[in-house]
Amino acid sequence: MTQTRRSFLKTSLAASTALALPIPAFAQDGVLNVALIVPSPAADVGWSHTLELGTKALEAEYGDKIKVTLLENIAEGPDGDRIMNKTVADGNTFLILGSFGYMNGGLKLAKAHPEVSILHASGYQVAPNFSPFGARYYQGTYLMGMAAASLTKSKKLGCVGAFAIPELITSINAFTLGAQSVDPSIEISVVWVNSWFDPASEQEAAKALLAQGCDVVFSNAQDTPSVVAACEEAGAYVFNLNSSMKTYAPKKYLGVVGTDWAPFFKASVAAHLAGTFAGSSAWLGMADNCVFVADWNPDIAPEMAAKIEAVHATLLDGSFSPFTGPLTNQDGAEAVAADVTLGDDAILSMDWHVKGVTTPLPK
Amino acid sequence: MTALLSLQGVSKRYGAVKANSGIDLVVDPGSIHAILGENGAGKSTLMKLIYGVESPDAGSILWKGQPVTLASPADARRLGIGMVFQHFSLFETLSVVQNIALIVPGRQADLARRIRALGAEFGLEVDPEAMVHALSVGERQRVEIIRCLLLEPELLILDEPTSVLPPQSVARLFDTLRALQARGMAILFISHKLEEIKELCDTATILRGGQVTGRVTPRDHSAKDLATLMIGRAMPPPLPATPQAQGEVRLELSGLDYINDDPFGVSLRDVSLRLHSGEIVGIAGISGNGQQELAALISGEVMRPGDAIRMMGRAVGGLDAAHRRRLGFAFVPEERLGRGAVPDMSLADNALLTAHSAGLVQRGFIRRGPERAYTAAIIAAYDVRTPGPEAEAAALSGGNLQKFIMGREMMLAPKLLLASQPTWGVDIGAATDIRQRLVAMRNEGAAILVISEELEELFQICDRLHVLHKGHLSPSLQTAATSVEQVGSYMIGAGA
Amino acid sequence: MSISFTRRAKASRVAMLLAPVVAFCCAIVASVILFTALGKSPGQALYSLLLEPFLSWYNFSEVLLKMAPLLLIAQGLAIGFRANVFNIGAEGQLIIGAIAASALPVWYPMGDSAWMLPAMLVMGAGAGMAWAGIAALFRTRFNANEILVTLMLSLIAAQVLNYLLLGPWKDPNGFNFPQSVMFPDAALLPILLPGTRVNVSLLLALIASVLAYVLMRHRFSGFQLLVGGLAPRAARYAGFSETRAIWMSLLLGGLAAGLAGASEVAGPLGQLQRSVSTGYGYSAIIVAYLGGLNPLGIVISAFVMSVIYIGGDNAMVSADLPVAAVWVFQGLLLCFYLAGLTFIRHKVTWIRRKVAP
Repeated sequence: MTQTRRSFLKTSLAASTALALPIPAFAQDGVLNVALIVPSPAADVGWSHTLELGTKALEAEYGDKIKVTLLENIAEGPDGDRIMNKTVADGNTFLILGSFGYMNGGLKLAKAHPEVSILHASGYQVAPNFSPFGARYYQGTYLMGMAAASLTKSKKLGCVGAFAIPELITSINAFTLGAQSVDPSIEISVVWVNSWFDPASEQEAAKALLAQGCDVVFSNAQDTPSVVAACEEAGAYVFNLNSSMKTYAPKKYLGVVGTDWAPFFKASVAAHLAGTFAGSSAWLGMADNCVFVADWNPDIAPEMAAKIEAVHATLLDGSFSPFTGPLTNQDGAEAVAADVTLGDDAILSMDWHVKGVTTPLPK
Repeated sequence: MTALLSLQGVSKRYGAVKANSGIDLVVDPGSIHAILGENGAGKSTLMKLIYGVESPDAGSILWKGQPVTLASPADARRLGIGMVFQHFSLFETLSVVQNIALIVPGRQADLARRIRALGAEFGLEVDPEAMVHALSVGERQRVEIIRCLLLEPELLILDEPTSVLPPQSVARLFDTLRALQARGMAILFISHKLEEIKELCDTATILRGGQVTGRVTPRDHSAKDLATLMIGRAMPPPLPATPQAQGEVRLELSGLDYINDDPFGVSLRDVSLRLHSGEIVGIAGISGNGQQELAALISGEVMRPGDAIRMMGRAVGGLDAAHRRRLGFAFVPEERLGRGAVPDMSLADNALLTAHSAGLVQRGFIRRGPERAYTAAIIAAYDVRTPGPEAEAAALSGGNLQKFIMGREMMLAPKLLLASQPTWGVDIGAATDIRQRLVAMRNEGAAILVISEELEELFQICDRLHVLHKGHLSPSLQTAATSVEQVGSYMIGAGA
Repeated sequence: MSISFTRRAKASRVAMLLAPVVAFCCAIVASVILFTALGKSPGQALYSLLLEPFLSWYNFSEVLLKMAPLLLIAQGLAIGFRANVFNIGAEGQLIIGAIAASALPVWYPMGDSAWMLPAMLVMGAGAGMAWAGIAALFRTRFNANEILVTLMLSLIAAQVLNYLLLGPWKDPNGFNFPQSVMFPDAALLPILLPGTRVNVSLLLALIASVLAYVLMRHRFSGFQLLVGGLAPRAARYAGFSETRAIWMSLLLGGLAAGLAGASEVAGPLGQLQRSVSTGYGYSAIIVAYLGGLNPLGIVISAFVMSVIYIGGDNAMVSADLPVAAVWVFQGLLLCFYLAGLTFIRHKVTWIRRKVAP
């Protein structure tokens, strides 16, 4: 198909030069065409933005040997599938799919085009040329929990969550465990907005939490600064994931659990170019230089900051995991026995909350 | 003496149709000048040219001896020409005084006072605060006349102004017009009521087929002569004598009460009436006294369950218009466009509107052949001037569309026919034809109820009469034993 | 000097043919300026927007795929619009249709009965009808405005979908992600054109177009709807039931939208997920009006809109246009086209004002 199309274009090229009709982009020798597909408009902050930063790093590294096409606001489903197919037809051989909902279409595409390598965010399916990737946000949220516990007066923390999927559940659980490591009496309320992008609902959810008395709020996977801004206005501490939103909360910004995809993208592209790309689940944490914490609030006492830094070091060197027993679930039953550390599979499919999270998990 | 207005060789054509050709017309100051002509004779076009709505293709218009170009009605009004249209230009969602304030300068309170004063003076009573959409056709025309008079024009054009006035008010309007004439105002008076023209007008210009066919002094000619000049042939023969055979009761209203939700509408009180097969009963009265409400209640467009209304012996209060039609009822409404006919649909589709039961629909499918044939039959039988069944209803003149709707309903051979203003705006020849057909239907056993403002017409065809005034129906009057004056006094609430 | 628009006695055929062409040229000129200002190659952009959808079988098949739900829904809606019944909530009826159709494969994920697919389509169509029927009931019983009711019902439908996907109907092996199981083959529509994603729903949409044409052109019930829309008082005069027109309009619109929803889950989606509709219910309103509410016109407008959509996607991939520029182009095209439509029914005249002496 691609071949016939190209030859058609080449023959029609002569006729169209008079009209200065350009040729659509297709693979030129020596240039790698990369497409990044994201579901929301690429903004200056948030998830799509960090992915875009990752591809910028690729461009910095490879210069004119690489061409990145950003495709924003692509609906999951048939439209997403078509765009993916189109990018491959246009000669892109390296795809980054920035949302879970692209999984089924991406997998089909990977099977049909073994020469294409695909990175897929947040999924769980693996193929030889199809790698799901995700960040171990829970490592960072554990540290945020410690900081939050040292600052809260009401002993009530809040979280605005996008979807009750394992990735977000683990972040909340680690946040709770970090806080309880400082003060075991702390409780956490969660409001699920069931959207990745819905500023109005997110703001409403934040206000509901603040009204309940929560004075530190976790903006869990929002791509907009709605929760952050609402908390600053109400005088509650707030932190978020992916990229810093400090400018929206100059006083009350607790910090950011950031992600840097550049190292992973570079390594994956290098493998693709070398012909050694092998699909595998890439679940990246602090040790991989993917997850980081930054922009800490100066209100955190120096001795607390030192304690946080000490735990940070053990997370970095891999000697500590927040999900180490004994852990109790919301019903009070033992979930993880003493001295047992949960493996990746158990964390990746976590569907329960630890004790201290007062909101039941939607079933 | 310089003529106030004179037209020299004025022509206007629309496509292939010569609406006016080589018209010469002279209107002297202080004269009442009649324009006589059938529908389609070119009267409306001529008025549009004088009032600046259209521009002539050839010829010239002189105002006080000076050639003028009238590019818009505003130009005409600036010169001192006022016009009362047959089709009203009022905004339905505004009140009377608001409508008038759009054209007449002045504070609304002052205008309202002047409106009441004029209304009292000329028998043109209308509530200045009433919303126009709640007014009847007759009341709207009163607003138009008042609006013109408020501008104190030098030339007043009146298009069929008396058709909605009761006889007493016609006399008073004529007094008013003569008073205006005495003050030096010239009046162009368009009417098909020959007796009125004979009574009021100094001169008459007669049009036929877009050309002037005569200039006469109406007082010196008989109505018959005028009509002959107008239609180009002798007057149709008089109607057949009234038979007295009477059959079963086809429509019975017994103590019908109707409370109108609309504050400006009319409520009906204790209306009782009996209509037998083989008779024509007329309902006289000035528009806006409950005619619309009564017609809608009988037709089923407004439903009030109960047995105050009985058709062919059945209580029909809870039946909708379609059900009543299935019992053998047919109806010609007062408004032609938008009610009696769908403006944007072809005549063929408009035939389908109510004549679908005449074999035009089979198993839910429209049969285009019979539909066309039926339409062609109406067009031929009722002399509807139109290119054919495919013409849009909105493209027909008012009189032609009225003929079409009358034809459609009468060809259904209904047992009971309600006709509201059956000949409104229809030319004399066609009106006489329609009346003859109504009488013929009656003679064949149909029961016919005619709601009309034209007393002449009612007296001509009806066996019995009722008069509707402020929602109250007068007792039944035998036409033969009743005088126009008697009916007139009922019309203004002074009867009985 | 002033410009005035006067209504033509008859629609101008020349203007009717010329309007789309002129609109098209104006949109091209405007977008060439726009794209140049953005620093993008206008040639490349227009090539992707307008030519590419026709230059490969794959791209063309995607146009047809997109066209199927748009065409189906627009035909249903246009019937109501012509009767002055404004069903704005086809989106909700589509979602409910998709949900109802998904019930079978969700409950029987291993089902292989030949009856499953037809049953899904019937359930989807029925559910769409029922959802629109709520609005008809409210309008005829309580005189509640159907525009508001259908719109609100769309929001409710979206929440029902959310509830099911987050709770009872979510894939047990899907790690809590809000989506159902993948449907078995017996629950999927057969592919119409081999090698593409075009399924028999395109055929359903075309059949619906023929039926809509027959209804509006040859059926007395369609004629009654038209009269109700063009002249409500004439409809009352003739005794055409308004209640019947409201029910018929909403039920047919709901049926089409529900069927489209069922076809989406049984077609390119293959499962029930949150993005079951990308605004088809709303786009179809535009398609219906662009097609002049005429069943044949709608076939053309649905095709044109699909080309614009697919072309827009192409331009993002191939011409590196930001999504906003694509939307601007689509908006321009529609605006110019609608402006052009004015000239079909109206003629422009220049009036030289002469003041009377």
